[in-house]
Amino acid sequence: MVSFHPDSKFLTDFAAGSLPLSEAVCVAAHLEFCGKCRAHVQQLSDVAAQMMVRLDPVVDDNDGFESLMQRIESSDPAPAGQVSNIAAKAAVSATGIPRVVEKLAGGSLQNLNWVKLGKSLRIAPMDIGCKSRQTAIYDIKAGRPMPEHEHRGEEITVLLKGSFSDADGKYVKGDFVVRYAGERHQPTATLDTDCICLVSLEQPVKASSWWYRLMEPFVQYRLSGFSR
Amino acid sequence: MDNDIDMESAVTQLNRSTVPDAWAESVRLVAVKRDRAAFQVLYKHFSPLIRAFLLKSMGSGANRSEAEEITQEVLIKVWNKAATFNPAKASVNTWIFTIARNTRIDFIRRNDRNNREIDIEDIWHDAESPEPLVDMQQRRAEQVIKQAMATLPEEQVQVLYKAFMEGKSHNEVAEELSLPLGTVKSRIRLALNKMQILIDR
Ligand SMILES: [Zn+2]
Repeated sequence: MVSFHPDSKFLTDFAAGSLPLSEAVCVAAHLEFCGKCRAHVQQLSDVAAQMMVRLDPVVDDNDGFESLMQRIESSDPAPAGQVSNIAAKAAVSATGIPRVVEKLAGGSLQNLNWVKLGKSLRIAPMDIGCKSRQTAIYDIKAGRPMPEHEHRGEEITVLLKGSFSDADGKYVKGDFVVRYAGERHQPTATLDTDCICLVSLEQPVKASSWWYRLMEPFVQYRLSGFSR
Repeated sequence: MDNDIDMESAVTQLNRSTVPDAWAESVRLVAVKRDRAAFQVLYKHFSPLIRAFLLKSMGSGANRSEAEEITQEVLIKVWNKAATFNPAKASVNTWIFTIARNTRIDFIRRNDRNNREIDIEDIWHDAESPEPLVDMQQRRAEQVIKQAMATLPEEQVQVLYKAFMEGKSHNEVAEELSLPLGTVKSRIRLALNKMQILIDR
């Protein structure tokens, strides 16, 4: 049961289309697990639509309908009735990984460039062309303590697979967890199972322990520009 | 909880409180018959609204002719995607807004000269909900939103307008109005609460 959700700021900016891509991917991944937030986003889109239909209409002097139809007819691939209705998609694909993440990874997480950091962690940066943030997938083996680290920037973690727990509670698949600058993770956190997370990072994490050594290659990798 | 009874009362309530969507039939005709006349009806009503929205939201970098081009792109998508419109889930107003929003996001990305090709619809996709009851609640909520919007105080309308029509993030709205981020967030939340959009945090 998902119990950590994006707040009204994330959902509103997402529905309005102003959320930067890295954060938008995190919200979209959460939405595939969470019907409640999906409903909120739909309602927020209703708000936007109601505002749009109340705008003063801007009428174009020359009616462009005929030229638009010409454009459509010269390229329309679908004759009447043949546009298939898209059936309700299962929220999550067969692998259990949200579609949005798999699509951006080029079909499968295996297509990403994984960097192995020690025995229990590997990280794959995701290039989504977002300048303000780093986006990556973390794959962490079960039974390891979560690395203790401190944040210089906001970090969003969406749990895609597995679970972990810390003093604040237990995090499960779908949970959307935000850590703010200056916050320190609970050092007691442990991974209950193998864990795959989508992470969006505002700034490099300042490590306070062995995490730093683990992170160093990632930081280097990031500096080299995420080349694929 | 008995689902059948629950469903029945939801249907009754829906019928009582939902004004039929006047545009849904036009979209259906476009989808099924590729009906030009029906499409022209949609065109006449929506293109001046889409154009108005894009002129406000595409940012200072966009000129009138770019807004015009994106307006055309939106209408072409309305034609091409008509069969994917689900009247149980959303009104035509909302459906067209989401197409306009996504086309706008795409335009801004293209303008940024992003080398990574991304299909915006992969991220801002139409989340499918296979639960009819949820769809009905959704449509009922839309009526509440419509009515409550008319009663919102000016300062709440202002932040909503900047967020949704000008496409500004919370941070950008805060900066522009010289307000703390928390104030922007709470004004938007107050407005959403009045419209019965109850987000936990
Ligand atoms: Zn949620």
